[in-house]
Amino acid sequence: MTPEKPLVEVEDLHVSFRTPHGRVEAVRGVSFTLGRERLGIVGESGSGKSQTGRAILGLTARNGRIDAKRMTFDGIDILKASPRTLRKIRGARISMIMQDPRFSLNPVVKVGEQIAEAYAIHAKASRRVSRRRALEMLETVQIRDPEKVFHLYPHQVSGGMGQRVMIAMMLIPEPDVLIADEPTSALDVTVQMQVLALLDDMVRDRGMGLVLISHDLHLVASFCDRVIVMYGGRIMEVLEAGRLHEAQHPYTRGLLECLPSLDRRQEMLPVLDRDPAWMTEARR
Amino acid sequence: MIEIENLSITFGEGASAVHAVRNVSFSVAEGESYGLVGESGSGKSTILRAIARINPTWSGTIRVNGRTLSSKRSKAEARAMQMVFQDPYGALHPRHTVDAILREPLEIHGLRDRDARILGALRDVGLGPEFRFRYPHQISGGQRQRIAVARALILEPEILLLDEPTSALDVSVQAEILNLLKRLQQDRGLTYLMVSHNLAVVAHLCGRVAVMNRGRMVEELTEETLRAHAPAEPYTAQLMSATEGYDREAVRGYRTFD
Repeated sequence: MTPEKPLVEVEDLHVSFRTPHGRVEAVRGVSFTLGRERLGIVGESGSGKSQTGRAILGLTARNGRIDAKRMTFDGIDILKASPRTLRKIRGARISMIMQDPRFSLNPVVKVGEQIAEAYAIHAKASRRVSRRRALEMLETVQIRDPEKVFHLYPHQVSGGMGQRVMIAMMLIPEPDVLIADEPTSALDVTVQMQVLALLDDMVRDRGMGLVLISHDLHLVASFCDRVIVMYGGRIMEVLEAGRLHEAQHPYTRGLLECLPSLDRRQEMLPVLDRDPAWMTEARR
Repeated sequence: MIEIENLSITFGEGASAVHAVRNVSFSVAEGESYGLVGESGSGKSTILRAIARINPTWSGTIRVNGRTLSSKRSKAEARAMQMVFQDPYGALHPRHTVDAILREPLEIHGLRDRDARILGALRDVGLGPEFRFRYPHQISGGQRQRIAVARALILEPEILLLDEPTSALDVSVQAEILNLLKRLQQDRGLTYLMVSHNLAVVAHLCGRVAVMNRGRMVEELTEETLRAHAPAEPYTAQLMSATEGYDREAVRGYRTFD
């Protein structure tokens, strides 16, 4: 894979769902590319940010439909790929971290075994080798006593530790792309920052491409290289993370302004006025 | 209005005992907003739950309006002190209409003019009469939280206990709820005790803030000290730095505080 070539290319992605009330369009014409970088996708609930991430992995729910002019990973057409090819990509080369470890870990299997299993399947390694790799990985995600944590069940670990276990499991096959959907929203701020530092290392040291999906504009701007702002299933604007405060789109500006600030005292907070034109106008 | 002295709360006994709150004291004046901030497990919500008697046991003294609270809550106390919870999805009965949700406290406390009070409570939180016969699943998250606030206000309490009232909401909706809470306080002289993990949200609403860690009060800050980023304790400084966003170097230097 040449470094200049993007890892993921998405052009004119549409995701829609069949519901009793008719067809609902969650994503409406989203295009972007992902290189070996930290790409943020921000938006409020219902903006389509999670569905965009899921569509890349083909994890859209059964009543959903994906249409796109083009959606490739490492030159492979994800839309036309066979289930067999997709299975080879999913988990091994593109991985995903979900928001809440409590719902993503198997409650009756020790966390260490779950990490080892992820390695055994993707690397076709023996039990012993997988176990050793799992312990190394627990150390990488900065768990202080890997031997002890290996033998704990999910309910015995804290939220922060559970999320690190999830991250260890997702990173153990050394994926080229990681899609992290609100990976730190359930965590305390300091733990949140430590988890981000881990993801940061993976991008720097292994050249992984990271998509960070979040509702937290400030967090994404301080962490990512580029930020996509979504609203109503569409991209409002794409920004260099460092220049978030120069955002032009009234939606992005509105989101920034309605956050209470620690530095500045305000009697009342400005409330976001949603312009129906945002749903139809061309991207800026 | 609220005086807490040497409050300690322990769950379990012996070796497995968890000291959720350790020797905490503070007081909130009438009409004041006081914030409790901290990370999970810091004991901030436990204090609120003790005051509301959802947690009926504690040691130390809790005084409200000059009267020492016992573990049993009288109707008059309940009426004077109402609570708004974090999750508007879990806090409203899914099979009750907005009308039934708002009517229940009026029936319990035997208040008259129920229809007028229900319409008045809806108006107070910025919702029209068309919301009255809807179910919680038919309204948005922000509207649900408004209903939860309306339910708390319908008994005309003096104190509102707010447990992370905006953390389950989108930021644009959070702004609306914060504005609503601020306006209600100005109009009615309510006393707020608010728990949050978000320093900016607390600074917006509260004049004084207690920072908690592992059951202890680390320090008490005024809004001005908070805005000037001038806490006395290193724990608070670390918390503030983490709140300001990702900084690779800062993360490397994080410490664990006991």
